[in-house]
Amino acid sequence: MAAATTSLSASTSAEDALRAQTFQRLHPKAYLERFLEENIRPDGRELDEWRDVSVHMGSISTADGSALVRLGDTTVVCGVKAEITEPELDSPEEGFIVPNLDLPAICSPKFKPGPPTEEAQVMSDRLNDVLVTAGVVSPSSLCIQPGKAAWVLYIDATCINYDGNAFDATLLAMVAALRNTRLPRARFDEETGRTVCSRKVQEPLQIGRLPIAMTFGIFDGMHVLSDPTSFEEPLLDTVMSVTMDDDGGLVSVTQVGLGVIGKQDILPQCITAAKYRCSILAQQLHTSS
Amino acid sequence: MAQSNFDRRRINGPEESFPPTFEDDEGEPSSLGWRLGQPRQGRAASDIRPIFLKAGLITQANGSAYIETQRSKIACAVYGPRQSKSTVYSENGRLNVEVKFAPFSCTRRKVPIRDAEDRSVAVQIHQALLPSIRLELLPKSTIDIFITIIENDGIDGCIAAGSVAASTALADAGIEMLGLVIACSACTIGKEIWLDPNNDEAQASSGTLIYASMPALGTVTNVSQNGRLTPDEAIRCMEACQERCIDIHAVVAEALLENAQQS
Amino acid sequence: MSSDLVLPGQPIPIPRGPIPQLGTGVYAREGAVRASLTGTPRYEGPVGTRPLPRPPAPNSVVLGSITRLSPLQAVLSITVVDGVPLPAGEEFTGVIRVQDVRATEKDKVKIADCFRGGDVVKGLVISLGDARSYYVTTARNDLGVIFATSEAGATMEPVSWQEMRCPKTGKIEKRKCAKPEGL
Repeated sequence: MAAATTSLSASTSAEDALRAQTFQRLHPKAYLERFLEENIRPDGRELDEWRDVSVHMGSISTADGSALVRLGDTTVVCGVKAEITEPELDSPEEGFIVPNLDLPAICSPKFKPGPPTEEAQVMSDRLNDVLVTAGVVSPSSLCIQPGKAAWVLYIDATCINYDGNAFDATLLAMVAALRNTRLPRARFDEETGRTVCSRKVQEPLQIGRLPIAMTFGIFDGMHVLSDPTSFEEPLLDTVMSVTMDDDGGLVSVTQVGLGVIGKQDILPQCITAAKYRCSILAQQLHTSS
Repeated sequence: MAQSNFDRRRINGPEESFPPTFEDDEGEPSSLGWRLGQPRQGRAASDIRPIFLKAGLITQANGSAYIETQRSKIACAVYGPRQSKSTVYSENGRLNVEVKFAPFSCTRRKVPIRDAEDRSVAVQIHQALLPSIRLELLPKSTIDIFITIIENDGIDGCIAAGSVAASTALADAGIEMLGLVIACSACTIGKEIWLDPNNDEAQASSGTLIYASMPALGTVTNVSQNGRLTPDEAIRCMEACQERCIDIHAVVAEALLENAQQS
Repeated sequence: MSSDLVLPGQPIPIPRGPIPQLGTGVYAREGAVRASLTGTPRYEGPVGTRPLPRPPAPNSVVLGSITRLSPLQAVLSITVVDGVPLPAGEEFTGVIRVQDVRATEKDKVKIADCFRGGDVVKGLVISLGDARSYYVTTARNDLGVIFATSEAGATMEPVSWQEMRCPKTGKIEKRKCAKPEGL
């Protein structure tokens, strides 16, 4: 009898769950509204709560540096490949960094196979801006022989599971992969005009500031949600990304949409929240290996 | 050559760049430190690399699996049955397999543009899986299987591991199948048959073979062979793979049962 | 419980006698009944562990929203099949042809008086349709529009099987309404 009752309640709770999912699918906005009225989010978080982050470095042997980042369910893997090139004529003592994010069809039903989506292009561009502005790796430190040879670091990130806020996760993965990168000692041979490297002597990159991104969304001009999920993202009317370095200095702020609740500008509030979150992430980035 | 085609949809680096060349490599025949005639390093000839397999990690997909055999790492997701894009009415469902190599997955960086290798790997995995799926139950629909190779240590091993991961992901997605597809690769080194060769071993071998089967039904779904093998060697490779597939089947069963109990 | 779980390809023991009618998740081959899904076999009902989203089939009850209207048909983006929602980003296209909107006076049906873009409709799949879409009917009392917003933006209530009222303005709009559940 006891067994029968438990199975009965199990099946009704399964039915309730299906009904809730159906409502979520048909009326996503109303579904989110009902949660936010109770000051909680569909995944059980508070409005200003962030998802758990994990950073694993160096598990990919074919890359010169690598990192796997999980932000909640969002998973991004990033690998750095170093190649040798000739510097540009107008900046003979500088190497290159080339960051790209791929949002392939594997990571979400939203993305279909094919060339990079607009979303991926915009994000790659923003990542490039942030990495260059923050000066994570100074281009001059990548010079092997002025005017002759320099390193180019291809920083390729691939999203494996997209549950929103890929920007924060990708930047973290890229920065961690760069921290993990070891370059072989390289020597330019004037006679042969070739660069030869040593497998035995490897050196880490000279890392400058570490940029860390914190993203917020505003729903219905009322609620500020930290670290939005893929369900919340399309319902947001404003998205704000605050990028800071590991000392809490501002690197970049982007805002898409109106950043106002009532008549109050909420950007300062986000920056304060970001500063606190940044200190936690910076510590995690420094301690993870 | 590495970055020959400019792509305005991506951040582009310099026009040309080359992987580093190493001075210490010269004079060293193989990074394996192994010569023909010596026994296999690190494991017995009939041993495969240990498999780590987990189902259901990609929460956005209907089904998924992640497989790792030492230095080969592959993620696989199944979407669908979803609406076919094709405009032709079809009585049976369609199976679509796409394989992507992460740019950092190989010794040389792969420019992120689909090439012939992606397609040929996808075709092999498609062939291995197709006989197992009950597509007759899914008129008009498509099952999409997306595979990302995160790290590649031997393409034959990746095709085999990719097939295993895809079949696990299909089971996780609740797609009806006649049986689980299990695959294993082999190569010949001298007179010996080595199972599940890594990249260096496959390079050193005279021929490789990939064997895919449904152990529960005792049927073969796909066999492909590359390089030089005598008919006798090919049959011995297949027999060795077949035997090992039963062990791999147990690994897959464990991963699926563990996942089914959690959900 | 775990020992009861079967995997695709695994034989399912069945009592002696004729092979029973097979449901979802099992198949017979060479005299043996085997599982084609991971789950627990049951005598009544299919093998399975959790409700899985399925593509529509004839006699599926579907929910979806209207995406396009023409004098001949309304196009429906199907998001729920037999009570199981499809994952976000996945949908199937259905079509309600003018002759399938209601059971009576079929020749007087005007699509524009029955549906509007964005309406949520409950329908029944009558056939696999053509290459692009499934054919869906609303020709039953319990089928039709189950959710609609008025021109003023408020959620409307059905007042009859062919009219809905906006609670904000009191204006009546025409729809082919589904009879609300429990009435």
